[in-house]
This record gives sequence, structure tokens and C-alpha cells, in this order.
Amino acid sequence: MPESQEKSNKFWKGLKDYYDDPEILKAKVNEFNDGVSDDFDTDQLSGISRRKFLALLTASAAFTATACTDYRDKGEIVPYTKRPEEIIPGKANYYASTCKGCSLECGVLIKTREGRPIKIDGNPEHPINKGKICSVGQASILNLYDPERLTNPTKNKNEISWNVVDKEIIDLLKNAASQNKKIAIVSNKINSPTSLKVLEKFKEKYPTSEFYFYELFGDNTKRNAWEKCYGTRNTPSVNIDKADVIVSLDSDFLSREGNFIENTRFYASRKDIMKSSNFSKLFSVEGGMSLTGMNADVRIKLKPEFQHEFVLSILNEIILVHGIKSKYLNSNLLSILKKYDFTDFISKQNLDKKKVHSLVESLMKNQGKSIVIAGDSLSEKTHIAVNLLNEVLNNSSLYNRQSVNIEYTRVSSMSDLKTLVDEMKNGTVDILINLNANPVYHFPSDLKFADAVKKVTTIISLTESPSETTALSNYVLPINHALESWGDSNVRNNVYTLQQPVIAPLFKTREKESVLLTWLSEDAKNFTHDIYRKFLMDSFKKEIYSKENTDVAFKPFWYSAVHDGFVELNGKKALPFNFNINNTGNLEAPKVQNGITLHLQPSYFVGDGRHANNGWLQEIPHPVTKVTWDNFAAVSLKTAEKLSVSFNDVISIEVNNKKLELPVMMQPGVADNLIVVELGYGRENSGEVADGVGFNANKFLYAENLISPFILTNINVNKTKYIYKLVSTQEHNFLTNPSIRNFQKVRKIIFEGTLDQYEKDPKFLLPEEKVLHGITREHKYTGLKWGMAIDLNKCTSCSICVASCNVENNIPVVGKDQVEVGREMQWVRLDRYYSGEPENPKVSTQPMLCQQCDNAPCENVCPVNATNHSPDGLNQMVYNRCVGTRYCANNCPYKVRRFNFFNFRDHFADAYYENDVIGLVNNPEVTVRSRGVMEKCTFCIQRIMEARENAIREGRELKGDDVKTACQVACPADAMVFGDINDPESEVSKYREHDIGYLVLKELYVKPNITYMAKLRNTDTEEV
Amino acid sequence: MNTVDYTQEVPIVEGRPTLQEINELIAKPLDTKPDKKFYIALAVTLSMLTLGVIGLGLSFYYGTGMWGNNNPVGWGFPIVNFVFWVGIGHAGTLISAILFLFRQKWRNGIARFAEGMTIFAVMTAGIFPLIHIGRPWLAGYLIPYPNQHSLWVDFNSPLVWDVFAVSTYFAVSFIFWYVGLIPDLATLRDRATSKIKKTVYSLFSLGWRHSNRHWQHYEMVYLVLAGFATPLVLSVHTIVSFDFAVAILPGWHSTIFPPYFVAGAVFSGFAMVQNVLIFIRKIFNYEHIITINTLDRMNKIIILTGSMVGYAYAMEFFTAWYSGVQPEQFTFINRAFGPYAWAYWIMVSCNVLFPQLFWFKKIRRSIPIMFIIAVLVNVGMWFERFVITVTSLSRDYLPSSWAYFKPTFVDMAILIGSFGFFFTWVLLFTKSLPVVSIAEIKSVIHGAQPTHEGH
Repeated sequence: MPESQEKSNKFWKGLKDYYDDPEILKAKVNEFNDGVSDDFDTDQLSGISRRKFLALLTASAAFTATACTDYRDKGEIVPYTKRPEEIIPGKANYYASTCKGCSLECGVLIKTREGRPIKIDGNPEHPINKGKICSVGQASILNLYDPERLTNPTKNKNEISWNVVDKEIIDLLKNAASQNKKIAIVSNKINSPTSLKVLEKFKEKYPTSEFYFYELFGDNTKRNAWEKCYGTRNTPSVNIDKADVIVSLDSDFLSREGNFIENTRFYASRKDIMKSSNFSKLFSVEGGMSLTGMNADVRIKLKPEFQHEFVLSILNEIILVHGIKSKYLNSNLLSILKKYDFTDFISKQNLDKKKVHSLVESLMKNQGKSIVIAGDSLSEKTHIAVNLLNEVLNNSSLYNRQSVNIEYTRVSSMSDLKTLVDEMKNGTVDILINLNANPVYHFPSDLKFADAVKKVTTIISLTESPSETTALSNYVLPINHALESWGDSNVRNNVYTLQQPVIAPLFKTREKESVLLTWLSEDAKNFTHDIYRKFLMDSFKKEIYSKENTDVAFKPFWYSAVHDGFVELNGKKALPFNFNINNTGNLEAPKVQNGITLHLQPSYFVGDGRHANNGWLQEIPHPVTKVTWDNFAAVSLKTAEKLSVSFNDVISIEVNNKKLELPVMMQPGVADNLIVVELGYGRENSGEVADGVGFNANKFLYAENLISPFILTNINVNKTKYIYKLVSTQEHNFLTNPSIRNFQKVRKIIFEGTLDQYEKDPKFLLPEEKVLHGITREHKYTGLKWGMAIDLNKCTSCSICVASCNVENNIPVVGKDQVEVGREMQWVRLDRYYSGEPENPKVSTQPMLCQQCDNAPCENVCPVNATNHSPDGLNQMVYNRCVGTRYCANNCPYKVRRFNFFNFRDHFADAYYENDVIGLVNNPEVTVRSRGVMEKCTFCIQRIMEARENAIREGRELKGDDVKTACQVACPADAMVFGDINDPESEVSKYREHDIGYLVLKELYVKPNITYMAKLRNTDTEEV
Repeated sequence: MNTVDYTQEVPIVEGRPTLQEINELIAKPLDTKPDKKFYIALAVTLSMLTLGVIGLGLSFYYGTGMWGNNNPVGWGFPIVNFVFWVGIGHAGTLISAILFLFRQKWRNGIARFAEGMTIFAVMTAGIFPLIHIGRPWLAGYLIPYPNQHSLWVDFNSPLVWDVFAVSTYFAVSFIFWYVGLIPDLATLRDRATSKIKKTVYSLFSLGWRHSNRHWQHYEMVYLVLAGFATPLVLSVHTIVSFDFAVAILPGWHSTIFPPYFVAGAVFSGFAMVQNVLIFIRKIFNYEHIITINTLDRMNKIIILTGSMVGYAYAMEFFTAWYSGVQPEQFTFINRAFGPYAWAYWIMVSCNVLFPQLFWFKKIRRSIPIMFIIAVLVNVGMWFERFVITVTSLSRDYLPSSWAYFKPTFVDMAILIGSFGFFFTWVLLFTKSLPVVSIAEIKSVIHGAQPTHEGH
């Protein structure tokens, strides 16, 4: 390249540069001007290398950054160093077992995550309860982690080791046996053949032992009556699903009596709108307003003491008037029946003639296809009369002789208990053992058991949690929760269920049977953790395996039985029983004094009080009154007027010098001059949650002037000057304010009709309506879209869905003070509406949960997009984004959103439900919501996600049927259907398209995705 | 007996004060040390404020559960207070901007003070949206700012509009107020003897020299800002009313809300300004500047807006009936005869009935009576917001979820605290800045403007 050309290509800064001035050239050689680098002495610089400098810089930046974060130590997360074979982190394991919440002992399926149980549902393969359990069973998981569970054996309130306890007690037992002193063992009814075997062995070892079994409630009277009629105490189950007509006489068979899970399933199967011609008809004759009465097609008010006369009058009418013949009729009986004229009875009791005649006609028309059920609280004689009535009507064909309630232990009679107390007072009882029982609370106060206890030298309580009895015990020995225990149960003759532990004991607790086994081995060292399992296996081998005539070896048979949770005992044949009229005794009705009657009933959710320390159960609103955290005196409006009392006024009830003051609840539909009080409340020394909730009415039991232990006539009632605030989740003013009655119908919240109307014109309720138009461009949902259908014909308002949702979705307990200010957190609620006259109301109920509206009004008002819509039609809630403006809740027409006004876990009873142990109950797939955050039903999105993951892994499309929500799984009536409403073949879309399927508040055009099936009442007329 | 000569324009400032006298009079509270009465008043307002701070402290520590809010009634006192205080602010802007544009010279005596009250009222109101939310520490989520989560606010939500409406309102009102203050600050600077005062006034008067060009620019800026502020008077409360009107709740979902809310806001604002001015004119001897004629005129606006509000109440009933929508109809029947009837009738009597007494000139010009009526107006307007917010929520569509709202001690404490906060600012204002515009008053005294009188 020539020089000139090179020069012309060169960049130059000035003319001097262009002409290559020597000064410039010189300057170019030196990078810095003279003097600039004079101060720059490399020796004086610090020796840190560039690499090191950068390292320090990063390190200090990292330090600063971490120091400024609000990282809080949330505890350690320790991975499995050796993963147990069956556990995949994030995957749930399910184990079949048996619920021990009450004496029904249903088969359950327990969901565990990383070794801890988090949810209990029914075992779907169990032949009796078929995948459903009650609220108590659902919520009982909370008891496992209850902060107040007994964790250590104590002697006189001082901690002591098991080893020492065992030694001491073995000595005491030996002494007692050798000195021929009595060892009294008190227990609830036992349905476990193996537990019973342990007790028998115990008695062999310590022959002075005596067992006392009791149940506060239960079918004992029914069994007594049955024994007289049929010569056996084994009562058959009833195929209610085959009954066209059901007459319930003060029987709450849909929620508190018998196996109501099975009953509800049977009942609901005959209220299936898809088979409307198959509807059964339910008559309820009752005094109080029970859940069954609330659901009845025809409800007749009658005070419980007149039930007996009522049954005899019906017999009189059908035999003497309508001339129905029966082989059981003898002259003696006929002469008695003659005294009970039906028309007289109707006029005397002022009953609705139309309804009562319709009852009798229905019974006669449906002979052999109807059933009369007497309530557990009615007298033995009434039960006998009802048995006779069923026989006369040939209804015994509905008795299921293949599935019979058998009885292992007979409940001790009052006289047995009296003898026990006398012996205790005499000092002949040396040792009293409470086998997971609470006699101090449950035994009739007339017995003065608590006083007698003081005379007993040694009192041993084997129980899970503190109670009135443990407070008086010398030795309090903590036993395993049902989820930590082995066991078995045999309630029905055709099913034997097994119970297996799903978690190692959390505390220093033992199975009660293994404690007894240790004691009868006479050496404390003989205890091993599998002592009872081995015993159970042996017993199983002898009693079950050997009788099954199977080719399968024992081990596989055992494992498969444990896996299934039950064994169907096919070997047993139908049990025969024949009605014997001659043993029934004099059927004449007792003379009843007129006056106010007190009817004692079980609580819906805390049972006989043993579940009182479970906050979830205390907080489920009463199905009829919606009251939580209390019991009360339910009276009719007229009786309240007579006593000049109103809501929350305290009355004092006096029977046989025993007095109780409790608040009044004006309950429409209660018979006049009747007070209904639920038992199971007023616990003491039983824990933070249970103590002081409600009023202990147990003291009235077994008083002298009784028709039955639970029905006390001619009592004294006085108004006091006190007020006690009952809290409920629904206001009561509908009764007193006629201007707001029937809003549920006016506002198209509840649609109802009769079966006759429907059969004439299926579209009678919802004629073709105008098409509603939106003003916005609406999103087109293609593909899968979630929706639900709720059949109000099937729903009985049993509230099991509420309990199940609580467990599944980590719903906190808020406490009475917060329910009072309307801050209950349950995502599902059962709305209850009355219509008609307050004296004789019709009750409509409706499960209300987030409707997942397409045009959700909550979404557009949220300023931060914390609630929004998913492509599959879910109204989503993003807790992290929620700032808590509550605007969404205001704008929700269904008011199903729930706001965390406090950190409720911390707020309730001084952080009772916020500690390391109780935290284990939480479903790890559901966020535990903090204070200040809105929440609501998510359609169990965690279950949807799990199903979606499975579908993706299996390389298939997600289908609507793949997901079942927690409420749906729990619903014993199968009233809830969930699925894909865009799939015309799905069950849910069939409901959605059904003639009587409706959307609540449709005109608002929020386009809800829950369809309700209008309730059709099976009344004779077209009147609703 | 007052007789008015309608051929003569009523003088705005009574008497013939000289410019110097006006300077002296208005600057007097700033030159003198606060007296005992001031400290007593301040002690009262600060005590009220402390009560509010305690209430807020409890709310922040334990949660919004300290209030009476429950499941159907998601919004209680904080939102009621918010709407109330935003409403109070409206009179100031109306007086200073709208009346300015309408050349209502009588406003000159009261504009500064009213505008100051606007600012304090908006400040008070501004507290409530922040504290009423469940997690106040996340209030920043309501502001659209770019973030790594790519999360954005929902511009469909009226609460986001509120954020903009209220912050814009505050900003514009503040600037408008400050611009108006500049000539006065310069006057004060010129009079100041203490060095600190002089420095501060110099700083904030931005080198104002009362030159002709300054005035020229000033007048233009003031006019433009008045133009800015005028639509805000209408828009802010319109948007606040959207918080309700956009919802589908019966009793909220109503197209009448925007004008009705604006009228109500002006109504309550005027009542509040009137109330405070009655004290100011008395204590600072401004009776000839803030004349009984001015108060009379304010009372006329109160009766006008009160009647508009009354009309809106009636119209709500009519539209509810005419709509044929049962829940809507019931909401109004329930307001008047339901469990909150007491609140409703307090509202109606205070807002509709008592202000009608202002038809009588005697009452319009009687200071004790007008004071009482204006107090009642503010009670009534607070209850109006309470009735709208709480009664609609407590009984909406599904009777199953109805519940009665009862305020708690903390609710009351925060309400009292808001008054404490507001009046503390008012008190400090009276002793630190001229509560009447010196420049504007000078422009309306006798002889300030060229007239044809006597020619």
C-alpha cells in the first residue's frame, strides 16, 4: 500500500497528528502525560490481587444482601437419608382402618403424607358405610394432634414411667385379687371381639374383676324390646332403600340414631331425581325439630310421651277400623287396642287430621314396603308396639337378616351400676379402672358416682385426654389414639373390620389392650409395642381365618385383610327371628300427666360429650338452629310466649330437685309444652376447648318420673332474670318478622315443588326463561370446565361436607366470640330457611359454597388481581397477592368468601391451635392462610392439580371424573356431583340440563357453576 | 332589622380597612405566641389523635378483627370515614376553584382556609384506604409499578381508580393552595423581623417581588390551576361513589351515586368549613372579612346541596320501586324500617329536614343556629355513608348470611382519632400560615378595584 494511501486511511486527531509532528509521536508513546502517574507507585498499593478484590466485593455484597432479608428460621427440613420403601415425598399413602369415634365403628381410609395422617374418609369398599363417615370421624383426626392429649403416665398428677406404673399396678391387682377385693372396670360398649378377649383373659387372671359397660345413648332400649319380641338382642339393619314409606317416630335416623350413614345412603337413593318415580315418602312424628323431621315430606308434631299412645291408636285404626288381619292379634291385645281410638287421639292431641290420615293410609297401602322406626329415646314398650305395628303391616320383610347388629357386651343395667356404687361406698371395690370411659361425667348424678369414687383406693384411668374422671384418678395412663392403634371390630354379623396404626405413637402412650396384656402377664418387662398386634393376629387366625375355609395361607390372608380393612364374613347365614306376641307384656300406655316435658337428646356433633374438646366439631353449626358452641333449651314459639321468654333468656329447669339454668332457643316446629335439650355439653376438666361449653344436662338422666331415661314429664320451668348469649351463624329474625319470610322463594334462592306437580309437568318450576345477555365480550370456555351439581332432594343438611372441608382445606377454628361477630371460616355452609307458619314450618336447606361464577363479581373489583379466573372455569384466589380489601366479599352475592380477620390459629384460646404438634394436621397441599387474607372454596384445586399431574404422567387427557372434591367424597347422600360441565356425557352436565336444575340468583348474570336440583316434596297434594 | 339595598353590590369586606390594617390583622396570629386557649385546643386534638393511634396500633398488631367488621359487612367504619373525609375536602376545592371561575368574589375571604381544610381532609381520608386493608404492609400492591413478578393492578377495580383519584386530588389541591400562598408568603417575608422566619418565607415565596409580571403570571397560573381543580371536585367523589356503584350489591348498584355523592360531599364540606370559620372569625377578629353575608351565602349552598341530597334519597326509593327488583326494593325498606332504621332516620333528619330551616333568613344569619345545623349536617353525612355502606352489606341477597354490624371500641377510637388528626392540622395551620388570603382580600376591599361609583 503506498504511503499516501495509507495516510489517507489513517484517522487523525489534528493537523499536527496528520503531519506526524514529533511532539505528538512522543506523546503517543507515553500513555499518560508527564506527572499524571507520578503518584502511582505500585509498591505502595495494597497487595490484594484483582481476583481477591472481586471475591471480597462479592462476599461483602452477599453478606449485606442476606443481612437485609427478613429470613426467619422456619425450622429444619430433613430429607430422608434412607427413604422408606412405601413413601414417595409428595405422594399420599392410604391405609384402611376402623374409626373408633363411636360404637358404629365404620371402615375408614386414612390418607397419610410423609408418614403423618392428614385426612380420614370412609373406606369405599366397606360394605356398610361404603366410603362415607360422619363429621365426628372426619374431625377426629384433630384429636390425634390435640395439644391437650395426655402424653405421659402420671401418678397423682406427677409424671412417672410406664415401667414403674406397670409394676405398681400389677402389684395392686395381685393384692386385690388375693384379698378377694373387687376390681371394677368401666368401659364404653365394646364391639371388638379381640379387646373383649383381652378382658376375658384379664378376668381369668384377676378373678375379682367385674366389667361395667355403658353408653349414654344408643340402641339399648331398642334391643331390650327386640329381645322381648324376637328372643334375640341382635337387631337387623333395615333396608330403608326398599321402603316406599318411612315413618319416623321421634327417630333421628338420618343423623343421630342407628347407622345413619347407611340410613342416609338408603334414604337418598330413594330421593334420586333421575328416578323420580321411585321417590319414597318420609313421615316424621316428633316433638323436637330434628334433622330427620326437617327433611320429612310430612311432619307431625307430637310430644314424645304420647308416641306410645299414637302407635296403639294407629294399630287400633288399621286393625279395628280398616280390618287388617294379622296372626299376632289375640284377644288380650285387641282389648287393649280398643281403648285407643284414633279419632279421639287426633282430637285430644289436636293433630293435623289430613296429615295423620295420610300417614295411616300410606302405611296400609304400602304394606310390606313401609317401615316404622322408633327413636332410641322412646320407651321399651313403645318399641315393642312399633315392632308389632311393623309385623302387622308385614314390614318385617324389610329387615335385613344378612346384616344384623350383633352385641358383644351388654350395657349394664341401672341396678348393676347402683350395686357398683354401693360397693364402692362400702370399700369393697379396691381398684377402679376406666377403660377410655368417663363415668364421672356420664353416670346419672343420682348415683353420686363422683362421691363414691373417693372411697376407692386406686383409680386408674386409661384414656386419651383429660376428663372429669381423670381429675379424680390416681393413675392416669395415656392411651393411643385410634390412628396409632391396632384393633378390630365386629358390629354387623357380616363384616369384620380391622384397625391398623398409621403413625407411631406421638407421645408416650400405649394401646389400652397392650397395657392390660402387660398387666395380666404379671411382669412390666413383658411389654413390647407389638404385644397387642400379635395377640390380635392370633385371635384373627383362630376366630376369622380358620372359619373362612380358604385356600389362602394365613399371612397373605392377614395382609390382604389389613390392606382391605375388613373381611366379609360370608359363612354366616341369614339370622332367623320370629315375632312372639306372648312375651311382649302389657302394651298399655302409661298415664301421662299434662305439663311441660323435657326431652334429652344427643348432640349432633360432640355426641355424648366425648368429642367436646374438638374445636372443629364444636364449631359446626347445629343443623337446625345453626347455633355453635352451646346447647340450649329449644322451645316452640307458643311455649316461649307462655313462659314469657325469648331468645337467650335463661330459664331454670327443675326436675326432682335437680336444677339447671340454660338459655332458650325459640325453635319453630317444636311441639308445645316441650323443651328439648342436647346432652354432651358442660364438660369440666376436659381441656381448653371443651370446658365450659354449654350446660351439663346429664344430671336429669334416670330421674324418677320417667317414661324413658330421656323423656321427663311434668317438669318445672321458670324464667330467670339472666341473659346468656347463644351464637349462631344465621339470624333468627325470620320467625318474628313476617316481612322477611319467604325471601328464599321470592329471591329465587330456593325452588321447591311437589312430586305430583313434577310428574304432571316436569318444567313446572322453571318454565322457559328469558335468555339473559351480558354487555361484555365473554370468555368462551372450551375444553374442560369444572362445575358442580347439588341435589337438594338428597341433601339432608348433615354437615359432614363441612367437617370434611375443614380437614381438607386447613380451616381454622375461630371460637365462640368470633362466630358471634360473624367470622366463622367454614367454606361450605348449610343455609336453612323456614317457610309457612312458624308453628309448623317447612324447612329448606341448601349447601352454599363458592359458585365459581363465570362472570364472577368478586374478580373485577379486586384492585390487585388477587382473585381471577382459570381457563377451566375456576374462580381462583391468590393468597400471596391478596392485600385484604374485602371488596370481593362485599360484592359476592352468595357471601361465601371468608376473611382472616385475625391469625385465627393464634387468636383462638391463646394460640391453642398454633404449635408444633397441631400443625401436623394441616394438609401440606393447601396454604395455611395468614391474617388479613381472603379465602373461599377452591373446588379443592389441590385435588384437581393432583389429578392433572397424574393425567399428564399417564399421557392422557384430564377427565371430569378424575377429580372428587372433599365435600363430595364425604357426602353420605351422594348429593354432590362434580365434573366437567362441557362434557355432555358427564353426570354433572346431566344435572345441569335437568328440568329442575336451577342456578341461585340467576338474574344477576354472574353465571354460577353450581346447579341446584329443586327439592320435590312427596306430599299427596300439590301443595308445597 | 337588616334591609338590603339590591341596587348596591354587597361589600365583601365590611368597613374600610387599609391595606396595612389587613396585613396586620391577618399576620397577627403568626406574629403572636399561641395563647392558653390554643394549647388547650391542641391538647384536646392531640389526645383524640393519640386515641386513634392506639386504635391503629391495636389494629396493626392484632388485625382488622379488632373492628366490628364481619362476614357480610366487609367494610365498616374505615370506609365510612374515608368517604366522609374525602367529602369534607370537596368544599375547599369548590370554593377556591369553581367559585373563582364563576367570579364569586365573596369566596376570597374563605378560600384559603377552605382549601387548607381540603388538604387536611384528604390527608385524613388517605389514611383509611391504607389501614382498612387486611395486610397494610402490602398496600404498595395497589400502585402499578413494574416488578419482577410481572404483576399489574386490575384497572377494572374502582379501588385502583380511587388510588389515582385521591392522589391526584391531593397533589392538585396542594399545588393550587401553595401557588395561592406565594404572594402572601412574600408579604409575610417583607414584614418578618426574625431571621429564621425571613429565611423560611423567602425560601417558600420563591423570590416573589409583587412585580406586575409576577402578578400577570400568577393570575394565569391560578386560573389554569383552578381549571384543573374544577373537574376534580366532580371526579373525585364520583370515583369514590364508584366504589359502591360498580358493585352488584343492592343499595350500592345505582347510577344516581355520582351526582348524589358530589352533592353530599359539597354539602358536608360546606358545613364543616362554616363550622370552623365561625370560630376563626371570632377568635381572630375577622368578622368584617368573613362577614355574616359570606356565611349566609354558604348556608344557601348548604340548603341547595342538602336539597339535592334529599332529592337523591327520594329518587333512590323511586328507582328501587320502579326497578321491580325485590332485593333492591327490600334494601330501601330495610334502611328505613330495618335494624338500622335509627341510623337512617338520623341521616334523613340531619341532612334533609334541619337544613331546610335555612329558608329562613333569620336562621341563615344566626350564628348559633347555623352552627348547630351544620354540625348536624356533618353528623347526618357521616351516617349517610354508614347507612349506604353498612345497611346494604348487612342484608344483601341471601338472608342466610345476614348479620348485624356493631362497631367496637377500636372503631370508635379510630374515628375520634381521625377528627384529632384533622383538627390538629387545622390548629397548626392557623398559627403558621395566613388563614385568609391577604392578597385576595386586598383585591376586594373598598377601593381596590376601579369602579364607576360617583361618576
